[in-house]
Amino acid sequence: MNIDMNIKIRNTLTEIIAVAIAITWMYSKLNAAANMSIASITQVLVQGIGISILAAIFFAIVIAIVSAIITKSKEKNVIDERDNMIEFYALRLSNVIFGISLLIILALLGWFNLPINFGIIAITLSVFLASICSTFLKIYLYK
Amino acid sequence: MAKKKIHIENTVRRLRFNNNEMTQGQLAELVGISRQTVVAIEKYKYTPSLELAFKIALAFNKEIQEVFYIGK
Repeated sequence: MNIDMNIKIRNTLTEIIAVAIAITWMYSKLNAAANMSIASITQVLVQGIGISILAAIFFAIVIAIVSAIITKSKEKNVIDERDNMIEFYALRLSNVIFGISLLIILALLGWFNLPINFGIIAITLSVFLASICSTFLKIYLYK
Repeated sequence: MAKKKIHIENTVRRLRFNNNEMTQGQLAELVGISRQTVVAIEKYKYTPSLELAFKIALAFNKEIQEVFYIGK
């Protein structure tokens, strides 16, 4: 990993790592989703969201410390108008992806008569998908 | 007026070197933006807002048109 990489890209990468960890964890817990109760599924999903938030904070701190030790300097993470613009584009993309995903999920649930368990999991995963797509857009724009 | 897209270029990089070889970090701190934004502006990848453009021009003690201009 290039330690001198753009601080914004570095921060964005930590989000992707956190989401990947949360999805992997949820996948391991939701193997028997068809036989699980809605309460236990939502419990796993909420825990997964919590894990992704905690992992994002943890990796952001670890990477910032490692970077500061190696480069022997601490770069300030200033938020300016360009960051706000990129955040806006990313938010817009994630809204679009989540909206489309939600429509597709509802359509699938209605037409194919899929169980509600599938719907809950799919909606949560669409949130993560939207988040991943927006972070990739941020990386592209920051490059 | 024609809807032709204009390409705004700048002399930030040259002005930095003419100002005691000011670093990108120093300029960023002076105008309150991140170093990455200075890099993006110098590479013409980002066109700053009017306010930021004025701030950059003021940092070099220049008129805005001496820093930002329409390129070919």
